[in-house]
Amino acid sequence: MKVNEVPQDITYYEGVKRACFALNDEGKYVVVTSVGWDDEAVVNGLAVDDLAATLEHTRKAVLAGVKSPLCYHMERRQMTPEILAKTAGIAAFRVKRHFRPEIFAKLKLSVLDRYAQALAITKQELMTVPQK
Amino acid sequence: MSSEVTAAGKPFIHHHSAHCESGTTSALFRDKGVEISESMIFGIGSGIYFGHLPFIKWVGLPITTFRSRPGTLFAKASKRIGGKFFTKKYHSAKKGMADLRRVLSEGHIVGLTTNIYWLTYFPNRFRFQFNGHNIVVLREIENGFRVSDPVLEYPVDCLTEDMERARFARGPLEPRGFMYYAENVPLNPNLRLACIAAMKDTCNMMLRTPFPFVGIRGMRYLAKKTISSPDKLGFKEACRRLANIVRMQEEVGTGGAGFRFMYAAFLQEAADLFASAELAQLSKEMTAIGDIWREFAVVSARIIKQRGQAEETFAKAGGLMLICAGREEQLFQELDRIAKKLQA
Repeated sequence: MKVNEVPQDITYYEGVKRACFALNDEGKYVVVTSVGWDDEAVVNGLAVDDLAATLEHTRKAVLAGVKSPLCYHMERRQMTPEILAKTAGIAAFRVKRHFRPEIFAKLKLSVLDRYAQALAITKQELMTVPQK
Repeated sequence: MSSEVTAAGKPFIHHHSAHCESGTTSALFRDKGVEISESMIFGIGSGIYFGHLPFIKWVGLPITTFRSRPGTLFAKASKRIGGKFFTKKYHSAKKGMADLRRVLSEGHIVGLTTNIYWLTYFPNRFRFQFNGHNIVVLREIENGFRVSDPVLEYPVDCLTEDMERARFARGPLEPRGFMYYAENVPLNPNLRLACIAAMKDTCNMMLRTPFPFVGIRGMRYLAKKTISSPDKLGFKEACRRLANIVRMQEEVGTGGAGFRFMYAAFLQEAADLFASAELAQLSKEMTAIGDIWREFAVVSARIIKQRGQAEETFAKAGGLMLICAGREEQLFQELDRIAKKLQA
């Protein structure tokens, strides 16, 4: 890749620039900053849309009373039940059980505290999901 | 490049790097007066690699990696260049943060392994649960730390709370507050010796591996899997897999083409170091291979964007990967031969 071939398509970097290695006119490698690359934005977009779609699906499931808000907030933090279990210090099978709304509703305050702490949100946030 | 001041009052030049671990390691060396570039560290730490691990899933997708396991680059580079490094992991977050403050007040700059999701100074789309991001802490400030994140253009501020979460995040490859700094390093290290050891190690990893999922064998395995993926998994799932490969290749701070350009830069520097025309030739070949990897990314993006309507096919994408595998195999065989002849 030559310096003038480093892609400069303004995409999703939000102003953050990225360092790329490229050859200058004398054939020496230099570090060039790039503001984005369309082709990369396509693959990143696919992954981000994937995550957003799963999250939206979960949010609707919570509002329909099929899943607990805990599941939504875990996915929002891009965690898996295993990661959340370790972070909160609660066994993974219990975390998965707490995805059931009727069980989540009966949780003790101390358990909710640990989840809120692990997910870096307040307890009020943990009990609800956004309406839209 | 921008200037900063460390806790010791020493000036610190922030270099914008492509990869976090090589950037951090070279920053630690530079702070102790050893001028060494990121690409040199990357080569000496044997950072280049290839692996496709179908049995380890990350967000439901098999892991493809173009780099060695997080942590090994720093370990190998510091061992080969020489010098005494302090490294420590912690069980207690409190103790880990207290130690960080103490070491900073003693005037060192400190490398840390963190979880990139909790570093909130990144744009949202860069943030994901990955426990192998390396940063340099310069000094303590009010409510936080001044951080030189090698993959960002300028140093940034990080809140204490974010820092603690990032250092002690749980999950796969837990950092456990891993902290490292240089205690003393040789001012004139024998880079030639380090380069030779690193080149041999890299060739071993790429060429002589008993596992079918890593090195050149892994590349061929993944290429064949990619070609047959739309029939086996369906178009949508095949696209997700392909996108994941390209993300690993381009997105996660690679300097382009899955670290191939960075390794070409290393070979170029090594060619100057040894005054070897053969190595210079290999650097050119590596650049050419990197260009094919970029083409692979372009073809993949087209497949995904046009949803199978265009002439670009999975067979073409896989074919490009097979070409890369063939040429990289030749390159590393050649490098192996040259490395054995080089005199330290």
